[in-house]
Amino acid sequence: MSDLLSKRRAAAAAGVLVLLALPFYADGFWLQSGLFAMAAVLGAIGLGLLTGTAGQLSLGHSFFLAVGAYGYVWLSGGSGGSGSGRLGGLGLPPVLAFVLAVALAGGAGGLFSPIAGRLRGMYLGVATIALVFLGQHVMVNSRSVTGGFNGRAVEPMALFGFSFSDSSPRGLAVLGVPFGGVERLWYFGLALVAIGLYTARNLHRGRQGRALAALRDSGTAAAVMGVPVARYRCAAFVVSCLYAGAAGALTALVFKRVVPDHFGLALSIDYLAMIVIGGLGSVGGAAAAAVLVSLLPQVLTVYADRLPLIAPAGTDGFGATPGEAARYLYGAAIVLILTLAPGGLAGLVRRGRPPAAPTAAPAAPIPVPVSRTATHPSHGKEPTP
Amino acid sequence: MTRLAETLLDGIALGSVYALVALGFVVVFKASGVMNFAHGSVLLLGGWTVTATHSALGFPLAVLVGAAVAGAASGLLHLLSARGVRGEGAHVATILTIGVDLVLVTALARGIGADYLGTGDPWGSEVVRLGGVHVAEARLAGIAVSVTLIGLFFAAFRWSRWGLAMRAASSDEEAAALMGVRLGRVRLIAWCTAGALAAVAAVFLAAFPSPGLDRSTGQLALAAFPAAILGGMDSAVGALAGSLAIGLAGALAAGYQDSLGALGEGLPGIAPYLVMILVLLVRPAGLFGSKESTRV
Amino acid sequence: MTAPAARLAVRNVTVRFAGLTALDDVSFTVEPGTVHALIGPNGAGKSTCFNVLSGVYRAASGSVEYGGRELTGMAPHAITGLGIARTFQNIVLTAGTVAENLMLGRHRLTRAGFAATALGLPSAVREQRRHRARAAEIADFLGLGPYFDRPVGPLPYGVRKRVEIARALCTEPGLLLLDEPVAGMNPTERLAMADTVAAIREALGISILLVEHDMGMVMRLADAVTVLDFGRRIADGTPEAVQQDPAVVRAYLGQEEPA
Repeated sequence: MSDLLSKRRAAAAAGVLVLLALPFYADGFWLQSGLFAMAAVLGAIGLGLLTGTAGQLSLGHSFFLAVGAYGYVWLSGGSGGSGSGRLGGLGLPPVLAFVLAVALAGGAGGLFSPIAGRLRGMYLGVATIALVFLGQHVMVNSRSVTGGFNGRAVEPMALFGFSFSDSSPRGLAVLGVPFGGVERLWYFGLALVAIGLYTARNLHRGRQGRALAALRDSGTAAAVMGVPVARYRCAAFVVSCLYAGAAGALTALVFKRVVPDHFGLALSIDYLAMIVIGGLGSVGGAAAAAVLVSLLPQVLTVYADRLPLIAPAGTDGFGATPGEAARYLYGAAIVLILTLAPGGLAGLVRRGRPPAAPTAAPAAPIPVPVSRTATHPSHGKEPTP
Repeated sequence: MTRLAETLLDGIALGSVYALVALGFVVVFKASGVMNFAHGSVLLLGGWTVTATHSALGFPLAVLVGAAVAGAASGLLHLLSARGVRGEGAHVATILTIGVDLVLVTALARGIGADYLGTGDPWGSEVVRLGGVHVAEARLAGIAVSVTLIGLFFAAFRWSRWGLAMRAASSDEEAAALMGVRLGRVRLIAWCTAGALAAVAAVFLAAFPSPGLDRSTGQLALAAFPAAILGGMDSAVGALAGSLAIGLAGALAAGYQDSLGALGEGLPGIAPYLVMILVLLVRPAGLFGSKESTRV
Repeated sequence: MTAPAARLAVRNVTVRFAGLTALDDVSFTVEPGTVHALIGPNGAGKSTCFNVLSGVYRAASGSVEYGGRELTGMAPHAITGLGIARTFQNIVLTAGTVAENLMLGRHRLTRAGFAATALGLPSAVREQRRHRARAAEIADFLGLGPYFDRPVGPLPYGVRKRVEIARALCTEPGLLLLDEPVAGMNPTERLAMADTVAAIREALGISILLVEHDMGMVMRLADAVTVLDFGRRIADGTPEAVQQDPAVVRAYLGQEEPA
């Protein structure tokens, strides 16, 4: 058992080293894809908490990502332009803008949660769809905040004067490798993901995770155990939206431009696919699946000519474009996993592991619950027959 | 005044077509407790079949074939989601339909491409004058056909054996099964019927004034979801009321777009969702829906 | 840490559902530290009564007082805060290990907020460890020691029933509501459960209100019995007295007494 544990620890450590070293070897395309995957991991953790643990079906995740993204853009952006191109912004320091954007997304979740609380299961699913469409409508029409349909540019992240972009300092090189915006942002992203995974794991294992899991299985049972149901349902939304906000803000930093079109129903469905494939209720599974789902189209694009049924994007030839192929695979994965392996990736990993060594295999049919001699120190009486 | 009349008529026409979709949605929910997110792509499949066969078979037969194909697809979807998913039940089956929808919509979008496909309907772009009001023949046909089909549906629900079985099953499954109701078959019929109705709806959604069936027609069907929800997911009557409300809201938003400009461009597209949210705020179970009760 | 057991006074409680009167002017009292049984034919209103006591149902009229506090109208989690815990007829356990289920029971006694837990603050970690130790104690007390870190799902029915009781005990109640603790068990398991219930009363000194069909269990364990039929109280007293009561015999006519 401890042997297995140390093997897993070694593997994890090796993985972390690879991630830290990646900017020295990988090119910009893969780094950017990787950053996008990191944002997906954050978003997936949040949705997993809501859907997998608290059991609330939400297709509105992309809305809260948008709040995080546009929140960051507006809070950090400067105002300028004129006429219909006029853009507003608070021009706050990027780090502050980031934190506030995350809080804003959480706040939006808090505002929506009373509605969510009143709706049961399926109704909530459709209400969240409404949120996405209404959100996009507002985004397209609030040109001064969002830049409308064409979006607006994003202020790069900066920490104490060190900018996570190609300038200030310009021409930075580490160990001979040029460190531009995307290389620097890589570490920022890794830090965010580390915080996200750490906090999610703690919540999952702590009293909140248990309370939310109980909520998923039976609201009444949870209430009777002392969990304030309405408050926790609301909290689940807020926490999941905090992660979504971080994911959205990171997405904005990675793409350097935000457009409303990105935050549509398709993105919400992508996230749903991630947590289904990863296994509802598992943080590690959601993270792994997020990486897979977000990197798949990129992989297919790069290797399009070498893969049989994939046609490069934009052509009309036989075969699916990378985007289409990815969607086929996600859809099929959702169906197959729910049909054959409902536990998702996490479930498969659990099955593959050797069973936990039984501490004392109960050979007798049912052990006598209480020995006839005293068990409780302060009450040593014999039970009366 | 004419403008109002035309807008209202448009709204009723739209609403009646939505009703076909919403009804199918509700029937599936009543039968299996599942929200069929693949309904839109089944609708598109049915419509596309009509566009592909109408020149060879003629319009009426093509519609029948389209309805049959959509019905069969819907039925297959039921078999997949019911048999495959064990234990977890409706919640998981719903997510499964999302997966199927993803595959189907992608395939259909590829097949349809960027074109607008015609369904070969007989009313084309003919416009009729009714007492000073201009209305498209297609719209009138839509109302007529929808009302007929809905009427037939309610009659079946009320008087046929299947309808009786559905009502028994939705109030108490175990008792119904014990009384000899074959739940599997009842559900299959429900899903197939939903698919067939959706195909008919597709034909009308692709009719004038729309340029034809295109890959976003399925998205239009998405507007029927809020219709079903705001009427109450387990109420067929609610689906009708909801569809009418949605149809009217959409038509009014489109018809009076200049006065409503302050609410932003693209209002007709989101009008259904706005109406739904407003209704849900006041009545969380929908207008005619029943509150969920759990046995502890 | 256990809340002192207090008197539960149910007075003239009536519950109605859409025309059906599930409980009609029901009154009884559970004295502190006693085992009180609530019996009656199926549909008599016993589970309804439990649901009123735990706040899941609202009473149309009447009052329920526990330790001087009025329960009717309180939210379920607030009632748990007063020291009343319950088990369910259909076991409702969350997926996970026995330990995780028992720790759910500690929810009302722990304080760590979302932020403290998420950040892994030392206070939250220490609190978790403390309460886990206590949960392990309670698990041992009910013979669940060997199962503590095992997933609940595959465990035998009798064991899962005991996990549910252990979870209720983890809330450190003064009053424990047991809903048909031996339903579906064979005679050996029933005896074991009877011993468990008695041991709980002896060791922890809490009051136990028990819904039960098994007359043997009732006779063996109960200090007092209340009989319901069609939502009304038809008898109330010691087991022996109730057993002889003609009204009770009539209500149960045709019902076999299990050995």
